[in-house]
Amino acid sequence: MPTTTNYGWTTPADTDLVKDGASAIRTLGTAIDTTTKNLNPETTLGDIAYRSSTSNVKTRLALGTAGQLLQVNSGATAPEWATIQTGGMTSLASGSIASSATGFDLTSISTSYNDLILYMRNFSISTTANLLIHLNNDTTSNYWFINDEFASGTASTVAGNGETKVRLTNTISASRDGLSAYFIIYDYKNTTAFKSYEYYAIADYNKFAFGKGHFNDSSTLAITRITATASTGTFDSGTYELFGVK
Amino acid sequence: MFIQEHNCETGEITQRELNAKEIKQRQADEKAEAARQAEAEIKAAKKQAILDRIGLTADELKTILG
Repeated sequence: MPTTTNYGWTTPADTDLVKDGASAIRTLGTAIDTTTKNLNPETTLGDIAYRSSTSNVKTRLALGTAGQLLQVNSGATAPEWATIQTGGMTSLASGSIASSATGFDLTSISTSYNDLILYMRNFSISTTANLLIHLNNDTTSNYWFINDEFASGTASTVAGNGETKVRLTNTISASRDGLSAYFIIYDYKNTTAFKSYEYYAIADYNKFAFGKGHFNDSSTLAITRITATASTGTFDSGTYELFGVK
Repeated sequence: MFIQEHNCETGEITQRELNAKEIKQRQADEKAEAARQAEAEIKAAKKQAILDRIGLTADELKTILG
C-alpha cells in the first residue's frame, strides 16, 4: 500500500478496486485525524505545544500562572513555566517624604531578613543641613563611624566618635534637588553583637560622603526602627524604600 | 514640626507631631550641626591665614606636598 511522504498515511493504490474506496478514504481520514491531533494537543486557551521525543507528536504545556516565565527544565529536555526569582530583596516599605516633614520614621520592621537596605531618592532639604539616621530610636552615644567626605575636590576623613546619630552627609546644600543616599545594616536582627552599617550619600553635585560604622547597642535588640531626619530644616521632597535582604 | 511615620508591618503611613524627646534631639542636632559648621569655618579660616602668611595658595601648597 502506498503512503504519503511526510506522515506515512496510507492511500489507495492505483490498482485497488473502486468498491474498496470508501474503506480506503476512511483509513486515510482516520490517519489524518490522528496526526492532526498529535500535532495540536492544546485543549485550553493559552496552552502551547512543543515537540516530544516522538516525531510528529507534540506535547501539550498548559498555560502557567501570572508572572511566570518560560524556561528549560533541569534536565534540559523540555520547556516549563517557572516563577521569577526575585533576587532576594523584598520591599518592606516605600513612600514619598511628605513636604515640610522633618524626616521619616520606619517602624515595626520585620526581623525575617538578614540585612536591611534603605534607599532615598531625589530628596531635597529646605536649608543647609545634614541627613541623620537613628536606629531603634536610640539617641545616646552609641554610633561610631568613619566618614570619607568629598567637597569640591577636597577629601577629608571625619571620625564619628560615640555620636548620638549617624551623620551620612557633609552638609547638604539648601533645596538641592536630585540627591540620593543608601544605608545598609548588616545582620540587623542579631541580638548578641553590635550591628555594622555602611552608607553613601550625595549632598550636592560636587559633594558626597561614604562611610562605615557600627551601632554599639548594649540592649542587644534587633533593629526594628530606622529614623531618617534632616539635622535642621525640613524635607522639600524625596522618596524612600526599605528592602529586606535574604 | 511633624515627622512621617511608616509602619512597615501594616503599611500605614501617618504624620505626627514630634514628641518631647524628638524635639529635644532635634534641638541638640541643630546645635551640634551649628557647632560643627562653625568649627569647620574656623579651621578653614585658620588654614587660609597660614597660607596668606607664607604667601601660598591652597593649590600651590598641594603641589608642594603632593
